[in-house]
Amino acid sequence: MSAASTTSNKFVVGLWDHEEVYLHAIEHIRHKGIDIYDSLTPFPVHGLEDALGYKESRLHTAGFFFGATGMTLALTFMSWVMTTNYPINFGGKPYWPVPSFIPITFELTVLFSAWGMTLTYLVRNKLWPGRVPRIYDKRTTDDRFALVFDAAKLSDADISSIKDVCKKEGAVEVKDKVFAENEGL
Amino acid sequence: MTDNFEFTDKLKKNLFIMMGIGLLGLVYVFLLYPENSHARLWSNILANTYYFTGIGLFGMFAVAAGTLAYGGWHILVKRIFLSLSGFLRVGGFILAAIVVLGLLNVHTLYDGVKHIIHEPVVTPNHTTKVIFFAPVFWVSRVFVYAFLWLGFSWYMNKFFARTDQTDPKVYKHSKLLAAAFIVMFALTESAASWDLIMSMDPHWYSTLFGWYNFASYGCAAWAMTILLVIYLKSLGYLPKVNENHVHDLGKLLFGFSIFWTYLWFDQFMLQWFANIPEETSFWVKRFGHGYFKFTIFLALIVNFLFPLIFLIKRGNKRNFKIVGFGSALLIFGHYVDFFNYTFVEPNWNKVAVEEAREAKEHALNKSETVVLYAQAAEKKEEVAGVTDATPVVENREAVATEVKKTEGESKGEAIEGEKTDGEEEAPVLNYASINIGEVLVFIGFLGAFLFAFFNNLAKHPITPESDPYLKECEKLTVTYS
Repeated sequence: MSAASTTSNKFVVGLWDHEEVYLHAIEHIRHKGIDIYDSLTPFPVHGLEDALGYKESRLHTAGFFFGATGMTLALTFMSWVMTTNYPINFGGKPYWPVPSFIPITFELTVLFSAWGMTLTYLVRNKLWPGRVPRIYDKRTTDDRFALVFDAAKLSDADISSIKDVCKKEGAVEVKDKVFAENEGL
Repeated sequence: MTDNFEFTDKLKKNLFIMMGIGLLGLVYVFLLYPENSHARLWSNILANTYYFTGIGLFGMFAVAAGTLAYGGWHILVKRIFLSLSGFLRVGGFILAAIVVLGLLNVHTLYDGVKHIIHEPVVTPNHTTKVIFFAPVFWVSRVFVYAFLWLGFSWYMNKFFARTDQTDPKVYKHSKLLAAAFIVMFALTESAASWDLIMSMDPHWYSTLFGWYNFASYGCAAWAMTILLVIYLKSLGYLPKVNENHVHDLGKLLFGFSIFWTYLWFDQFMLQWFANIPEETSFWVKRFGHGYFKFTIFLALIVNFLFPLIFLIKRGNKRNFKIVGFGSALLIFGHYVDFFNYTFVEPNWNKVAVEEAREAKEHALNKSETVVLYAQAAEKKEEVAGVTDATPVVENREAVATEVKKTEGESKGEAIEGEKTDGEEEAPVLNYASINIGEVLVFIGFLGAFLFAFFNNLAKHPITPESDPYLKECEKLTVTYS
């Protein structure tokens, strides 16, 4: 899941090099009441959503409604064509041959839900074309597991305590990351 | 280690009681319709043996597929999958025996095939069928399946119970074994479905019948595994299996239910649309008979609508009560599905069917409607010779009104006629139905299946401790807040 919209541009980034250590670190850090701004991993990690305390995604609900739209559209369009607009007798079958609608209805349901969910996902995560993303550390696409903390409203003491906690929990590197004003937003 | 399943005497006793109930059921269906060569008994044996053999085969398939796909999710229930194949070791031979007895004229299940073999006129479509169902070829095929299934079941159970599975050599061997099983399974389960089930109506054919059977007992196998996991957990076994593993099984159960419906619909829709007499006759027989129309829709509702509505929700698949109830329902639903294939053909009351057909033809030839239309056509020819077409239309309308009148009269007559000889009962067209006998036989076979299952499960530890993927499986814990 991507970051919520914010104008903050000062962050603390902790980097781990092992999945297990990373998962335990998240649990301990959350237990201490520290807010995690974002989490970046090179591959999907089992149990990460759980460790971060994320709620179940609502994407599939959107998928259901996209699918329902496709199904309704396919059924109404074919029914209209076959009964009202251009009725043709195909091999003695009824003018409203519902069984033969089902494959097309199925395909359109799948098409609508797949495209709808993909586009919803991209829009929700701000991945539209031309957007320059905020990159906290390039190695998160290779071999580093990153935790990002929003440092804009934190005092220096808080920041240093976060850094200490990260190091104690096995982070191989902890660094500050400052973006230019409105970069990648 | 105390990880072995303890097959207690109490459980054994209960299973023997179930098998006894099954024997009672067999006697009951044997006595039910002696005038139909006891076909009801043999349909029962075939349907149940095929169903439970299929579940066993599918259990081994689940392990082979998981091994080939480097899967880790199924390791904790792997021994349950493998033990499902216990019944298969006998089941394959019972099926082979049914074919042999059919050829020896002990029962009438395969009369259609025998008719094709001895048919004097060989049409092009039948030449290949005559070769395929040549008695020696047919019988040797079913025995080959039985021996292959027995061998693979025995060897896979033994192999996956080894304690040195992390040894690279053994690990490589497991992949080879799984690959060999998949090839064997693909060939034999498809061919077995043609040999044992599709051959009951040899003029009808469906090119996806092997898949269809696979999906059907596949659903039943996932459902059976879920129920057995829940049962074993209630006894205190499988402590590490949690709702995440059952969730995975539930997802597969749901997916296979949709897959089954997809194949069911494919099979139906193409044949309905193409309207080739050989294929359509299959559906006419079922949709034209009140009881089979009911069982067909019952199977569709239980096997499709129920999972679609109740098993699509994540929470329901993780709730042992709901998923357990759904599994039991689906095991019944897929039995009904096989009922639609194995019971219909041999249980026709051939005399009554023939009489009904003749009566219908007779009525059609003698009906006044036909006569009146013939007269109208004659009149039309006469009139057309003299004048233009408009009087013909009038004439036709006149005939139509006359037809309506006479139809009404004949209906009245028919009602009177019914009143006079209403004492006579209409003959039964088909002896098949799901009643107490079927339920008892099903319970008996379930008892035998579970006996073989527990017997198999007790031989080795339930948890395959040495499996390289065991830790991955144990770690499967995802819970959303």
